[in-house]
Amino acid sequence: MRAVGKKIIMFRKKKAADANAPAIHGLSVTEARYTVFDTELTGLDEKKDGIISMGAVKMTGGRIELGETFNMLANPGTNHMKPGSVIVHGITPSELAEKPPIGQVLSGFLDFCGGDIVVGHMVSIDLAFIGKEMKRLPGREFRNRAVDTFSLVEWLRKRGCRTGFPVSGKLHELARCLGIAVRQAHDALMDAFITAQLFQRLIPLLAEEGVGDIEGLLRIGDPDKGGERHRFFSGEIGNF
Amino acid sequence: MLVEDVMDFLRQVPPFQFLDGKDLKAIAGKVSLEFYPKDALILRQKGPASLYLRIIKKGGVKVYRISDSGEEVLIDYRGEGDVFGLLSLMGEDGQKSNVVAVEDTICYLVKKDDVMKLIETNPLFTEYFFKSHMTRYIDKTYDEMHGRNVLAGSGDKLLFTTRVEEIAAREVATATEDVSIQEAAMLMTARKISSLVILDGNGLPAGIVTDRDLREKVVARGRDVDEPVKNVMSLPLVRVDSKDFCFEAVLKMIKYNIHHLLVIRDGELQGVITNHDLMILQGTSPLSFAKDIENQITVEGLAPVAGKINNIVGLLLKDGAKASSIAKVISEINDRLVRKVLGMAERKFGRPPLPYCWIALGSEGRKEQTFKTDQDNALIYADPQGENEALEAGEYFRQFAVFVREALLKCCFPPCPAGFMASNPEWNQPLRTWKKYFTDWVSTPTAEAVLKSLIFFDFRPIYGDMALAGQLRDHLVSILQDEMVFLGFLANKIIRNRPPIGFMKSFVVEKSGEHKDELNLKLKGIAPIVDAVRLFALEKGVAETSTLERMEALRGKHTIVEEYAEELEHAFEFIMLLRITHQYGQIKAGKQPDNFINPDNLSNLQKKTIKDAFSLISRIQDLIIERYKALIL
Repeated sequence: MRAVGKKIIMFRKKKAADANAPAIHGLSVTEARYTVFDTELTGLDEKKDGIISMGAVKMTGGRIELGETFNMLANPGTNHMKPGSVIVHGITPSELAEKPPIGQVLSGFLDFCGGDIVVGHMVSIDLAFIGKEMKRLPGREFRNRAVDTFSLVEWLRKRGCRTGFPVSGKLHELARCLGIAVRQAHDALMDAFITAQLFQRLIPLLAEEGVGDIEGLLRIGDPDKGGERHRFFSGEIGNF
Repeated sequence: MLVEDVMDFLRQVPPFQFLDGKDLKAIAGKVSLEFYPKDALILRQKGPASLYLRIIKKGGVKVYRISDSGEEVLIDYRGEGDVFGLLSLMGEDGQKSNVVAVEDTICYLVKKDDVMKLIETNPLFTEYFFKSHMTRYIDKTYDEMHGRNVLAGSGDKLLFTTRVEEIAAREVATATEDVSIQEAAMLMTARKISSLVILDGNGLPAGIVTDRDLREKVVARGRDVDEPVKNVMSLPLVRVDSKDFCFEAVLKMIKYNIHHLLVIRDGELQGVITNHDLMILQGTSPLSFAKDIENQITVEGLAPVAGKINNIVGLLLKDGAKASSIAKVISEINDRLVRKVLGMAERKFGRPPLPYCWIALGSEGRKEQTFKTDQDNALIYADPQGENEALEAGEYFRQFAVFVREALLKCCFPPCPAGFMASNPEWNQPLRTWKKYFTDWVSTPTAEAVLKSLIFFDFRPIYGDMALAGQLRDHLVSILQDEMVFLGFLANKIIRNRPPIGFMKSFVVEKSGEHKDELNLKLKGIAPIVDAVRLFALEKGVAETSTLERMEALRGKHTIVEEYAEELEHAFEFIMLLRITHQYGQIKAGKQPDNFINPDNLSNLQKKTIKDAFSLISRIQDLIIERYKALIL
């Protein structure tokens, strides 16, 4: 598990230094374009496991564009699918075998993202898996800047924000606490939509704390701020 | 998936609900979602024009303006399902009001171009926004309330909407297998039934014997009537569940070519349904019901018939009748019932010493009753000549009226708690006394007199010498001529019952007690319209008593009615229908009907319509204030 975490950090460090990242400087939080996404994985072992679905929805500032969504199941190219994960997703390995290979899905996802800032909850693990699969797409790069809603929540919590957040930091618990409808159905697009609504509600709270420009958002929403560790230890199962 | 959710929501929201599936899907695919924390300013007065039409998914907003003098002028509160930003969207000169979230609010946003396209291409959508809301889409509201009936064709509607248990005979006649054919036939004759369920040794239904079996298998074949009945009973026993729609029963009868089905409820035999029951269902008409009343010769015979009046309301509702039609039918039936009772009273007490007229008061007088209500009646008799005749007539009509009160009580019409009944000597008087009452009330409008006039001035002759009622009406018209002071008192009373608008979520509801958070439809919706139209009718000497007939008679005579008749009529029909539907539901659930509805249980379209009705009432009241300016206290 620690190995996974290390790798993520290395991956992020490399990214942050990339001078060719899409130009987003000088924008305010409410002007920027975001792609809020979630992935479903066969498990958390980066060596053996793979991505089985990706879901995403676009936002312009605090506005969720309900018609601009991405939702695809993928053949993960690994046979490492545990019985338990079948139960969570309701997707069987044989169903996945008929889906497009992960490389193709990921390519579609990159096209969908364009130059947007990507947003996810405990997003470093998703980014790590995307980073691993990128080798299937020679010549393409994924340089988008990323914001982790979990990091944002933790930051607000430390600042003593007036909105109380549940301690676990799990996406669905946060959502329920903020009055966001949570359905039982577990799929990448629905979780992306819930994450988007969470992000939508965090924006005005961040503004109250003086966070209004993109640089500030990227700094406090840095996915490397422990989100992936927390997910391991809190038993978050959202991505299995 | 996200788009489907949007579609589900928009299907509940006018005017989007008028869009067909294709347009709705196209719009839903372009919608976005915003969140505004409590107190957030969503649109700013003098700010740029809105680029979106916003539909409130959750929460609520306040729309207000800051006037040139710096005062805050409240325009409206909008709640879930309401839209805002349209005018700003349409206009060229920016946002004219402030819109602030009064609680955490989520809105769907539809882009300006998409709204404009719908306005150009969809007539219903356009009408909703630009013409009088009330009159144009009220019919849609009716459709919604009667929605589940739309599936079935008109003639056979009831077959699809009535459950077997509603019409099946509750009592089942049974006999054991070993009784003889003759014994079975005697039992059927004695109980006036066309079928007998035959039970086996274990007490379980084994077969059924019907009139047809006796005719075809016994009489036609000369079979010995001493044979056990099981030799002629019909098999198989076909069952239908008590919760099935009658349509299912018809299908089974056709399929098996039989006329009787066993009705099963929770595995137990509950009754029998026959093709005759189904024919009656299809032929159920207020007319056959009225005939049933005419056929009775005793109060005891009348009582059970009267007990079924409520069923008619249910059938009419299912048929999609308008509230006014339902009320008319019920009035007609109640009138017949009262006339029948009066006829019985005349037979009992002999020929009346003087001509008389039985009059109905209040809602009965206005033909606006739905479910049976209290007795509200009075009696006018011709002016007696001399003291003896006066004494004799007084005594006769008092006894007569007491008998009628008791008879109506047996027919489930409870006495009027305020004592407005002919059995009360005060309301059982010769014409000249009635004229004096009316004159006194008009000339000295005490609070009590005004209250009485509201009830009595809606009188309507039911039975007897109609000319007596006519003379009283003429008298009333003549004394009200230019009687602005009395009318001013009525006006004062009317404007004090302001409709509950301008409040968050649109309704001022009861603040405490048993009906906390509920809306009194009668007091806040029906009474204001009835009272205003009565005032107009009295102003112009119109003799009609029902609110809708008064408006019809006032068209061309009264400027307010001339302008608002159509909207008032729709508002009145709508609130009445809401009330009837509500009360019918309560009666069906075995509760006492009341006038309290919970606004939360209304659909968005219903909420919108009732809110429009309230603002209409408010406008009418403003016009009354204007008209009676000098007399308003």
